[in-house]
Amino acid sequence: MKALGIIFANIYDSSLGELTNKRTIASLPYGGRYRQIDFILSSMSNSGIRHIGILTKYNYQSLMHHIGSGQEWNLEMEEGSLEYLTPFAMSHDGTYRGKLDALNCAIEFLENTNEEYVILSDSSVVCNIDLQKVLDQHVASGKEVTVVAVDGVANGMKQLDLAIRLDESGEVVDLAVDYCAGPEYLASMGIFVMKRELLIRVVKESVARSLYRLERDFMLRQFATKKLTVGVYLFAGVALFNESTLEYYKNNLALLNPEIRHGLFNAGGTIYTKVRDRVPTVYGENSEIDDCIVADGCELEGSAEHSLFFRQVKLKAGAKVSNSLIMNDCVVGENAELDCVILDKDVVVHPGARLVGTPENPVIIKRGEVV
Amino acid sequence: MYFQKKRCIAMLLAGGQGSRLKVLTENTAKPAVPFGGKYRIIDFPLSNCVNSGIDTVGILTQYQPLELNEYIGNGQPWGLNKSHCYAQVLPPYERHDKKSGWYKGTANAIYQNLQFIDRFDPQYVLVLSGDHIYKMDYAAMIDYHEKNGADCTIAVRDVPLAEASRFGIMNTKPDGTIYEFEEKPKQPKSTNASMGIYVFNWSILREFLIADEEDPNSSNDFGKNIIPNLLNSGHKLMAYAFDGYWKDVGTIDSLWEANMDLLGKNPEFEIRGDETQKISARNNALPSSYIAKEAKTVNCFIAEGGEIYGTVRHSVISTGCSIGVGALVEHSVIMPNVTIAPGAIVRNAIVGEDCVISTGAVVGGVFVPGTQRQISVLGKGHTVEENAVVAPGEVR
Repeated sequence: MKALGIIFANIYDSSLGELTNKRTIASLPYGGRYRQIDFILSSMSNSGIRHIGILTKYNYQSLMHHIGSGQEWNLEMEEGSLEYLTPFAMSHDGTYRGKLDALNCAIEFLENTNEEYVILSDSSVVCNIDLQKVLDQHVASGKEVTVVAVDGVANGMKQLDLAIRLDESGEVVDLAVDYCAGPEYLASMGIFVMKRELLIRVVKESVARSLYRLERDFMLRQFATKKLTVGVYLFAGVALFNESTLEYYKNNLALLNPEIRHGLFNAGGTIYTKVRDRVPTVYGENSEIDDCIVADGCELEGSAEHSLFFRQVKLKAGAKVSNSLIMNDCVVGENAELDCVILDKDVVVHPGARLVGTPENPVIIKRGEVV
Repeated sequence: MYFQKKRCIAMLLAGGQGSRLKVLTENTAKPAVPFGGKYRIIDFPLSNCVNSGIDTVGILTQYQPLELNEYIGNGQPWGLNKSHCYAQVLPPYERHDKKSGWYKGTANAIYQNLQFIDRFDPQYVLVLSGDHIYKMDYAAMIDYHEKNGADCTIAVRDVPLAEASRFGIMNTKPDGTIYEFEEKPKQPKSTNASMGIYVFNWSILREFLIADEEDPNSSNDFGKNIIPNLLNSGHKLMAYAFDGYWKDVGTIDSLWEANMDLLGKNPEFEIRGDETQKISARNNALPSSYIAKEAKTVNCFIAEGGEIYGTVRHSVISTGCSIGVGALVEHSVIMPNVTIAPGAIVRNAIVGEDCVISTGAVVGGVFVPGTQRQISVLGKGHTVEENAVVAPGEVR
């Protein structure tokens, strides 16, 4: 059974504020040397999916720069195995109003292929998942749509795109969208499997009626009127929802926990990313690095604890960094002090500067700023 | 198939055994030996070629080529996988004229691949070794060769007089013309040591390779035969002085030293910086390294995929290594995917790929200033049992 992959690159951009000002959520740096999309793209590639479309509506320059031809994900085997589906003059004002609208713009991509199934995914949930297993379960279940979901995320506070409640036999009894569901619900990871023919029909019929949202206008409506059978694939691995700045901050620091780190990186296939060919990180004579994740190409002379250093960061002598995310190519000057800070790429922190946030309100410094 | 004419192509001699590296080259060719945390020795000449605008490289392999072939693959990490840019592996092969056999020497290796070179109809051929660590702009050397109207140009570097008798020494006139070549002279007249990097006019080299092959007494070697023959027949040979970092990593001590030369505030060999001389490598997709609270990482290189809980001082830790709580690694080169268990001690050692050093084991010893440093070496995949001791200088 072959499946086509579709990745939505822009969902949730607006809720990550400044971090997604100039990039898609898919291309947001994560975990030191990765971008968020690396996880689902690697999962698809590792699961034998060889034809993938990336749907994006704006700010996709950094995304295309990152993925390129897809060679690092083993996706440039044959012509057109990876395609960017950008909104060139297809839609009304050039941007999409929902996943169904976006898919409508890419309807030719969906039609001109021969895979029987489609796997749709967001790029905001970081996970390492065997999608072949999901597909196998979907086919065996006879359901029309399978949603990948996790337990333990719904807590009554976090708003879920799609909350799902099962009965004791594992059948779906309730769906809810944009809902702060309680712990008895499962949270959708934004990964859906269905037949390609069904998706094409749904897209055409929905958009013709000005219905644009996959979860609300298709899943919920059709399920409520018993026109659609929905199954759940319960994912037992690490799934980190980066749907807000605070979640993004906490889920980066969460990688310092070995269980989460190994659960994400060692539990399935390899997570690929763009190769930069940086030298190994060099630790200086007086550096003091405690409980940190450090990517390649850094030069660390100062001290740090409980923080992440992305690629090619310079931490100068006497600088102190704690509980912070320091993205690519930042320079933290001599004796600067950072606590609970997110430095976006290319930020320069002057010697002696002091930036202090709180664990619930990290200070965010925009890309390229000098402070 | 159409082959573009090239001004210069490179032939990289990568077939040598490297027996002085002992266990490290027991099952792999010397150019495939890991270096500097994430590189292999061959990355240096290969990257230099690409950085110098040379986009066609023939790689002559012979001894234990499996890993080397795998590593070079389609040449993609160096950008040598385009329709007009190659990294072509050239093993010995069976010939129609029964002259086949192993590569008998460096010159014979090139001779056996005349066909490969002829396809590109190059003006110049650059001959390189696969066992040196350096960054060099070959384009500048080729320009020098061309400007001087030389038939052959040899890169040389100044070595201390006391060491000159270990090298091939080029005696030159003030304008750089070579008038005499002495292989490992007992009484060296000068200190211009050959670096084993040659630029030849292809038409002349071709002629000399064919003649050399017909000489039954020749050892088919560049240093012993081709260069002296060129000199004796009155061809113009020039020395090209190179004063950057260069190290022949043919011995355990020099391999260890070259790794240590990467470290420090002002390292002997600056591998970082200057993007135009970037060294590329085939990368494994590994996550960023984790440095635990208990860890101490001082004056060291740590590549990706590390899980560091112990103390690392003045060492190079390659990709995918884990170092347990209370373990100590000092003045050592740890090659990829090594596991050092909690409480193990590694000092003044080169630890080969995939080794496991168990709890309480001790590898190597303390360096006593004023004595010769004794480097302990573990070959690929070796396991040091719990509480076992590998003596200073011991090779396993």
